[in-house]
Amino acid sequence: MKSVQEAFALILIALVCGGLAYFTHPLAPSFGIDELSINIEEVQSEAEVFWIDARSDEDFAIGHFEGAILLNEERWEELLVDFLDRWSPSATTVVYCSSQSCMRSHEVAKRLREELGVEDIFALKGGWETLLETGLAKEGDE
Amino acid sequence: MKMLARIVYIALGVTFGWAGVAKLIDPSAFLSSILTYEVFGYVLAVAASLFVPYLELCVGFSFVTGFLRGGARWLAGGMTVVFLMLLVQAALRGLDVDCGCFGSEAKASETGFLWPISRDVLMLGGLWVAVICERKADRKRES
Repeated sequence: MKSVQEAFALILIALVCGGLAYFTHPLAPSFGIDELSINIEEVQSEAEVFWIDARSDEDFAIGHFEGAILLNEERWEELLVDFLDRWSPSATTVVYCSSQSCMRSHEVAKRLREELGVEDIFALKGGWETLLETGLAKEGDE
Repeated sequence: MKMLARIVYIALGVTFGWAGVAKLIDPSAFLSSILTYEVFGYVLAVAASLFVPYLELCVGFSFVTGFLRGGARWLAGGMTVVFLMLLVQAALRGLDVDCGCFGSEAKASETGFLWPISRDVLMLGGLWVAVICERKADRKRES
């Protein structure tokens, strides 16, 4: 019985710390990603799309969506300059990373929304895998 | 016996603490790892990415210091069994998961499942040894 009480005490401490981390940790994930996400059908209905590849430099070099520019958190300051030079604010900006489980695109989309004060920036559901599955991109595309 | 139990608890405590710190540095990377297992929904995965690292850290601290150790034993055993089940189901389904056990790591397609599964089995074995040694030492002291 004492062990169970101790286990609950530890769980409580971890819950409090996790709750604090949610509000204070700079890299804490957000519960609400739906407003950031866009599926491929919605993207295809857009008149003009500006693509951002949020994967690593290595993955981008192996292959990326035609016209996409590289913008990842590892080299944010450096790559943001190139992004701002080429970005078209009138286009819908879509960020992709490797797959459904990858959160890089959400982090990049969220950060761009915050830094640019623009709402028309989204993370592609399914990422690069979806682009490959739908035939919009092929392995080794550049 | 008591000394052996203490050594094993410290080793387990350091391992849990290390795993917790590695995850809490970047909860978003840990979230990505959790999602690769394709078991949890997004909201539950976010909650786990924030909660599990601190639970591991608490368990690690308890094992090293002895504070609330009885509870930490249950939690360590429970967490390790859950981690083991997640890895086994991913291996059976052929998923290319990122273990995430000690922060974001290479995908299973590069590292395989053998080492992460063996590591969890080893930790369960260590926990069992520590508990047995501790009980034997307690019985000896009482008699």
